[in-house]
Amino acid sequence: MDWDKIVQLLVNGMTLGSVYALVALGFSMIYGILKLLNLAHGDVLMVGAFIGWGVINWLGGAQDPNVAVWLLIVLMLLAAMAGCGFLGVAIERFAYRPLRRAPRIAPLISALGVSFFLQNSVLLLFGADFRSYETFDLVDVEVGISWGPLNVWIIRIVVIASAFAMMAGLWLLVTRTKLGKAMRATAFDREAAAMMGIDVDRVIAKTFFIGSALAGAAGILVGLVFGSINHFMGFNYGLKGFTAAVVGGIGSIPGAMFGGLFIGLSEAFSVGYIEDLTRGRLGSAFSDLVVFLILIVFMLVRPQGIFGKPEVKKV
Amino acid sequence: MRKGLIAASLGLLAAAVLVTSALAKSEATATPAQLAACTNVSLGFVGPLTGPVAFLGQEQISWLRFGVQKYNAANRTRFKVTPGDTRLQAPVARTVARRFVSDRKIMTVIGPSESQAVRVGGNLYEKAGLAAVSGSATAIDLTKGRPYTSFFRVVPNDGIQGPDIINFVSGQLGAKNVVVIDSQDDYSVPLAGAVSTGLRRKNVTVSRESVSVDDTDFSSVVANVGNDVNVVVFATQNASSANTLSNQLREQGKKAIVFGTDGAYSPSQFKPRNGYVSVFAPDLHFDRNARAIVREYNRYSKNRSFGSFGPATYMAGLVAMTNITRACRDGSVTRAEVTRLIRTTNIPSILGGSIRFDRKGDLRGGAFTIYKVTNGTYSPAG
Amino acid sequence: MSLSEGPEQPRIGVDEWVASAEERRSRSPLARAQDAMERVPAAVKLVALVVPFAIFPLFVDSDYLMQVGIDTLVFVLLALGLNVAVGWVGLLDLGYVAFFGIGAYLYAAVASEYAGRYWDAAIAIPVIAVAVAVSGFLVGLPSRRLVGDYLAIVTLFFLQLWLVVLINASWSRGPNGISDIHPLKFFGRQVTSLDGYFYVALIAFVVIISFLYLLNQSRTGRAWRALREDELAAELMTMPVNRLKLMGFAVGAGIAGVAGAIYAPVQGAVFPANFDLVLLITLYAMVVFGGAGSLVGVTVGAVLINGLLEALNDADNASWIFYGVVAIALLALLRPWWQPLAVLGATVVFGFAVHEIAEQARPSLVGGATLGDSRIDRLVDSWVLLPQNILTGDGLPTGWLGRLAYIGLIASILGLTLVRSHLWRLIGLVPVLYLAACVWANILVAQPAVARFVLIGAMLVGLMAYRPEGLFGKQRVEIV
Repeated sequence: MDWDKIVQLLVNGMTLGSVYALVALGFSMIYGILKLLNLAHGDVLMVGAFIGWGVINWLGGAQDPNVAVWLLIVLMLLAAMAGCGFLGVAIERFAYRPLRRAPRIAPLISALGVSFFLQNSVLLLFGADFRSYETFDLVDVEVGISWGPLNVWIIRIVVIASAFAMMAGLWLLVTRTKLGKAMRATAFDREAAAMMGIDVDRVIAKTFFIGSALAGAAGILVGLVFGSINHFMGFNYGLKGFTAAVVGGIGSIPGAMFGGLFIGLSEAFSVGYIEDLTRGRLGSAFSDLVVFLILIVFMLVRPQGIFGKPEVKKV
Repeated sequence: MRKGLIAASLGLLAAAVLVTSALAKSEATATPAQLAACTNVSLGFVGPLTGPVAFLGQEQISWLRFGVQKYNAANRTRFKVTPGDTRLQAPVARTVARRFVSDRKIMTVIGPSESQAVRVGGNLYEKAGLAAVSGSATAIDLTKGRPYTSFFRVVPNDGIQGPDIINFVSGQLGAKNVVVIDSQDDYSVPLAGAVSTGLRRKNVTVSRESVSVDDTDFSSVVANVGNDVNVVVFATQNASSANTLSNQLREQGKKAIVFGTDGAYSPSQFKPRNGYVSVFAPDLHFDRNARAIVREYNRYSKNRSFGSFGPATYMAGLVAMTNITRACRDGSVTRAEVTRLIRTTNIPSILGGSIRFDRKGDLRGGAFTIYKVTNGTYSPAG
Repeated sequence: MSLSEGPEQPRIGVDEWVASAEERRSRSPLARAQDAMERVPAAVKLVALVVPFAIFPLFVDSDYLMQVGIDTLVFVLLALGLNVAVGWVGLLDLGYVAFFGIGAYLYAAVASEYAGRYWDAAIAIPVIAVAVAVSGFLVGLPSRRLVGDYLAIVTLFFLQLWLVVLINASWSRGPNGISDIHPLKFFGRQVTSLDGYFYVALIAFVVIISFLYLLNQSRTGRAWRALREDELAAELMTMPVNRLKLMGFAVGAGIAGVAGAIYAPVQGAVFPANFDLVLLITLYAMVVFGGAGSLVGVTVGAVLINGLLEALNDADNASWIFYGVVAIALLALLRPWWQPLAVLGATVVFGFAVHEIAEQARPSLVGGATLGDSRIDRLVDSWVLLPQNILTGDGLPTGWLGRLAYIGLIASILGLTLVRSHLWRLIGLVPVLYLAACVWANILVAQPAVARFVLIGAMLVGLMAYRPEGLFGKQRVEIV
């Protein structure tokens, strides 16, 4: 048993998984309240990543930042979360709200349009070069925990910790606050919630804000830990985030967290072992196949996911 | 007898004078106005301006436009650039080829940048007598057997890069255990294949991995790299990915160092603590003789970062413009004329040496340069 | 708008609003045109569609334009196929281009150096159509248990997977693709000229559109329509919902396969990168723009969108198209006739005023030059603001001024849709139009390849919000 490799894959999987969990949370929240798959969610993550890059450059660049590293990261997170939050609200207001009563296919096509628009706008404004956070200059790779087979860069710890902190914060929001109650009510039955005096439009807007802010934060975390960002990075994260949401149970918050970690770990381990398992027939490039199969299996066998409740449709 | 000799030599002299004057007439220089009108043509740039390697195409077209502006100012010509975006897709490249062939204002094609575009457009250009001078299409099959008589390249081909890498890695670096990674595109897969095969022949243990062009996380691939691997050869067109790879190797405590192929060359993005990179042309940033032109380009582009792709395309543009101007000496120019003249090119190159083509269209005397990178600082290696 | 002649007793069991939908619709001239078109017999419509294509090669002598024509026909075929799944059955198939790829690679497998085979196209094309239809059937199998949204993601994943397999499997020759594909051969005679391929594609178009028309008129077509409107009700009416969905998938896939089989020999080679998401979204734009569900609609949509995309490739044409489209949009959307003219005039005056002020106050704001090279660009050079530092020599907006202007433009356009009063909307339109022209001249025209896609994305969103039925589709009244 190659413990070095297993431990490393665990760490990688947790890092990836935390990011996927954040994306899955946003997906879940939005689906829960609007029954809409926000296909543009991954691109919101991408915009967040670019906002972070802008902040780094504005504060002097990664080689020689004007502020302490931890403050820089906090500022980036705040900026991206605010920016993406408002972006999400705008997307909901202009691309999805007019289509609330339209056939289900309509907002999905609109989401495709939004995604395409965001990707190409960023390409237009920032060019095609991969932009780098240059985190490796900010904090050297060897700073972190180094204990036996465990080699964890401090940035990875930051990523995992922030993701968990945000998830905990969201959990508190949804279960303990009035807004959370309103969100749950609107998700359960929109018309009844409206009749109870809940301003449904505002609740939906706030849900989008929070969900998109989480995606923006995920974008920053991705840029920090992997270093480079580009205009079409959102697609992959959107797809994996969606898978995580479905596996965990769409509409459920602990489900999204669990699903994200599950998918992240699956991806890491499949890259690590797929060649051994298939005796060299499939290379590491086929790790996506494993994730896809997981999705198909869940969709066919347990579509409500691990934490979800089977949906009973009333006619 | 002497009279005869004198008569003969006078006759010869007269004949010589006649012939020389006749030749001289046919090379009558056009007036500046005629030159300006004759060179009011376009250089068609064919390359990926959008898509996954768009930054390459954008760097190339930036240097091309810079070169055109510089040449026009110095020679009072009126060259222009027409962009032809291939989006790194073959059918689009083919459509671009047809478009450029039917556009009579385009006198020479600069590019295509990617080898794949040469494969789908090469015979179209050839049929139209349109010369295509590329600064980056390095696949071997493009000139082997001379399939396209109007294709030229100002850079050496991969047939030279592969062996150069193999020799360096197994010889100078003495590696015994190597991982070769490709990035699933038509540039990296053949190159990675050639390098693996060559290394195996030298009794080096080689294992193969593969990542996608838009991957930014290599942690799991790195986990597959054993502790006894000396070198990871990464065939990629993305310097930023090579940088991430080398950092993640260090993060996980692996001893292997990264050897990037020419696509990874970028002093601003690929800055490992220890690494190597090969490149098809020496880097202008390290060339004292090139300081002036680097300064000029920085002023023109507002300090846009560049590697070796841009300057090579600049030279391709220079080849085209020089020969079109030569053809314009008699006031008119045709595509076939330009193609013919390009074969006889002999101009000094900002990359060192001079540009001359061999019978197949390859650069004569081209070689890959290998750089050692230490803490982000580049220096020429063996 | 009155519902009927006078106050009436409400009719029991009738939803008045829904019942009067037809009447409301008939007031718009476009709707009246649509109704008139319905009365034209199908055969006449078919001829009207085919004739412009048939005479196209006679007017065109450049190879490039012929290539564009062939590409357009291939896109039309693809749009027709996508229309079956999306427009008729109502399934969101996001993996559609994979079938296109399967068809192309299958043709390469039967007619190239790669396999050493050279099948006659008369056999190859039908075989490929059936094979790809079968694969569509298989991909559609999960759809039985999945709701529309989930199906979209599953098909998207399938496309990703197909690409991964193509790039990495040894039999597909990886990213280099398969080259040296043999030309189409019908009963031993090869098709070698571009004109020939154009006519082959045209014949395929006629066959497929007739087939689809007949299918639509048949019981299957009616069943599909019922299924699209209300799946639950259709199921209760004992329609075999699952089988119908699978059929829809299969037919759409089969058509994509035929398109692939024609496309591969025209190009001479196939590469995995041909079948990407950009193509998918472009196809969706064509179908939605033309009108999902309408055969004529998607044909026209494909022609227009592909033509627009090709034309926008060239910086010279791009500006004409931009200003032209803006003018046409204004004329079409604002009535009576004097309103758009007033807005345009005011914008011109406004622009000159701003230009003058800027020139006096801060000359660097007008010092630059636009990268577009056509006559119209030079015309507006002295009208729009062209800040000197906004562009580098190669046309990338490196400055924050450019990015802020772009974001400001998007924000102001969106904000304009929120304004209630028509008058204020008109007034607000003036500076927004001017800002749009400035952004175009400074940023978009320098990168026409990217600008096209930005416009397509924006168009999709706008269409779904304001006119989801596209040009020729039927407006659907949904009872919630």
